[in-house]
Amino acid sequence: MSLGTRNALLALAITVAIIGTIVAAINQLDRQRIAELDAIQSQLATDTLSVETQFALLENAPCADLTVGTDLTSEVSSLGDRLGVAESRLGSDNPEVLRLKKQYTLLQIRDYILAQRIADTCDIEPVTALYFYSNEAGACESCDRASYALSYLRQTYPQLRVYSFDYNLDLGALKTLIAVEKVEERFPAFVIEGERSYGFTDVESFQALFPKELYATTTATTTATKKK
Amino acid sequence: MSLEILAYPFLFLGLYFEVFMLLTFLSGPAKERRLRLAGGSTPKVAIIVPCWNEQDTIDGTVRSLLAMDYPKDKLQIILINDGSTDNTKTVMDSYLANPQITVVHKENGGKHTAINMGIEIAKDAEFVGCLDADSFVAPDALREMVPCFDKPEVAAATPAMSVFQPKNLLEQMQNAEYIIGIAARHALSAVNGIYVTPGPFSFYRRSVIEELGGFRHAHQAEDMEMALRIQRAGYEIENAPRSRVYTKVPRSVPKLIKQRTRWTTGFLRNVMTDYRDLVGNPKYGILGLMVLPLGFVAIVGGAFLFLVAIISLVVNLVRTYDLTIGIPLSYTLLPRFNFEWFYVPVTFLVLTSMVVGILSVTLVLIGRNVSNTPAKVILGIIAYTFIYAFIAPFWLMRSMYDVLTGKRRAWR
Repeated sequence: MSLGTRNALLALAITVAIIGTIVAAINQLDRQRIAELDAIQSQLATDTLSVETQFALLENAPCADLTVGTDLTSEVSSLGDRLGVAESRLGSDNPEVLRLKKQYTLLQIRDYILAQRIADTCDIEPVTALYFYSNEAGACESCDRASYALSYLRQTYPQLRVYSFDYNLDLGALKTLIAVEKVEERFPAFVIEGERSYGFTDVESFQALFPKELYATTTATTTATKKK
Repeated sequence: MSLEILAYPFLFLGLYFEVFMLLTFLSGPAKERRLRLAGGSTPKVAIIVPCWNEQDTIDGTVRSLLAMDYPKDKLQIILINDGSTDNTKTVMDSYLANPQITVVHKENGGKHTAINMGIEIAKDAEFVGCLDADSFVAPDALREMVPCFDKPEVAAATPAMSVFQPKNLLEQMQNAEYIIGIAARHALSAVNGIYVTPGPFSFYRRSVIEELGGFRHAHQAEDMEMALRIQRAGYEIENAPRSRVYTKVPRSVPKLIKQRTRWTTGFLRNVMTDYRDLVGNPKYGILGLMVLPLGFVAIVGGAFLFLVAIISLVVNLVRTYDLTIGIPLSYTLLPRFNFEWFYVPVTFLVLTSMVVGILSVTLVLIGRNVSNTPAKVILGIIAYTFIYAFIAPFWLMRSMYDVLTGKRRAWR
C-alpha cells in the first residue's frame, strides 16, 4: 500500500474518530444539562412542598415570611429558561425533555396555586398571566411573537407572573387546569386576571389585556407584602 | 440546526484534509525531506525573471539573486522585459555590464512567452528556475533547492514562499495563508500531490521542459498548467522546505480579489478542460483522488456556504424584525450574556470548527518552523481566522461567474 493510500485511509479513520468524539462530548454535555435540570427540579419540588407546609403551619400568621415563596417563583421562571434551551437543543419530542417539561408544568401549576393562596390570604395582588401555546406544526404561527412579548413584559414589569403551558402536553393536572380555566384549543391563548383571550396581533393590543395597575409602577412587587 | 447542517460535509472534508496533511507531515518520507541537507553539488542553473512594469521591485529581486550563496559561473540570471511601459527597461539595463546577467527586452506577449524566451537562452543550464520580479530570495535558497533533483524522476521543485515584510492586516493574513501553503506543499510533496509550481522560485529540470514543451498561456495560470503537465507525464514534483522566497502581495482587498480570481479561474479552467482526465483518476494518486477534487469542493463549497450564511442572516433578520416589532429597541438590543456553562452554545458546528481552527494554526506553526521563516504569525492567524472567510467568497463567486460566462479579465 502506498504512503498516500495508507495516510488517506488512516486520515479517514482519525477524522471519523474526531467527529465521533465531538458527537459524544456534545451528548455528554446534553446529558449533564438534563441532569442539572433534574436536580434543580427536585430541589424546587422540595422547596414548593416546604412553602406549602410552612403556609399550613403558620395558620395564625401565614404571611409572616413569604420570601421563600416569592423567590420560588423566580427560580421556577429560571428553570423555564433552561428548559427552553434544552428543548431547542434536543427537540420538543425528546423523551427526557418531555419528562422534565411535565414536571416543570406541575411545578408551575403548584406555584400558581400557591401564589393565588398567598394573594388571597395576604392581600397581595400580583398580576398573573397564564399562557397556552402549541408546538404542533402550523397550530400557532404567532406563538413565538407572543412568547417574546411576554418575556419583554415580564422583564419590564417584575410584578407580572407568567405561567407558560404547552397545551398538548399529556398531563392530567394540566388538562384539569385547562378545563377549570375553560381554555379553548385556539392559540395563543391567555388567561389574564381570570379573563380569557385568544390570538396575538401586536404588542399594543396585547398590553391592553393587562390591568392598568401593572403599568402604574415598574418597581418589583413580587417581594412579600405583609398583611396589615 | 436548520441551515447549519449544510456546512457539515464541508467541515468534514476540511478536517479530513488537514488530518491527512498532518499525518503525511509526520511520515518517514516527509521527515527524510526535512533532513535533506543543502547540497554541496552545484550544477549549472539559470534563473529567469519575467518582468512587466516592475520598476520598483526588479532591482531588489536581482540584488537578492546576486547575493545568493552559489558559484557565479554556475548561475545565470536572465531578465526578460516583457514590453514594460514604465521605467523597468532602465533599471534592467543598469545590469548589462554584469557578466552573470543577461538582459532581454521584447514586445509584450504574456508571462509564458517571457519564460519560454528565457529557457531558450539558458541552453546549457541543467535546471531553470523562475522568479517573479516582485519576489526576493534568501541567500541559501538555491543550495536548498538543488538537492530536490537528486532523483531523476523529479522534474520540478517548489520553494517555501511567504510574504515580504508583511505590514498591514491584509498582508499578515496572506502571510499566515502562505505559511500554511509551505506546510501543505511540504506534506504533499511526500505523496507527489503538488498541483502548482508557483512563479516565485520554482525550478524545473530543463530536459523535461524540452520534452514536454514550453510554458503556455493556460488561462493566465502557466505555473499550474506546467505542474499538471509534469504530473500527467508521470514525473514528480518536489519541495524544498527551507528554500525561502519572499513575495510581495496585494495590499488592498480589491487587488487581492483580482489576483485570487485569476488564480481560481486558472485552476477551474485548466482542471475542467485540458486536465479533466486527472480528476478522480487513481493513476495520479493523491493528486487525482484528493487534491484536485477537494480543490473543486473548496471553491464551490466556500461560495455555497457564504451564500447560505447570507440567506440565513437575512432570514434571521426578517424573523427577528417580525418577532420584535412593537417591542422597544432598548429591550431588543440589550446584550444578554449568560456565562453559566448551561447556556454555552457548544454545538457540533462550533466544536468541529474549533478543531479545524486548531489544526490550521498547527499547520501555520509547522510551516513556519519547517522553513525557518522568520515570521510573527499571531496577528496573521487572527486576521486569517476572522477576515479571510469574509473576503474569499467574493473571489470564489467571481471566479465561478467568470468561468460559467466565459468572461476574461486582464492580468492586473
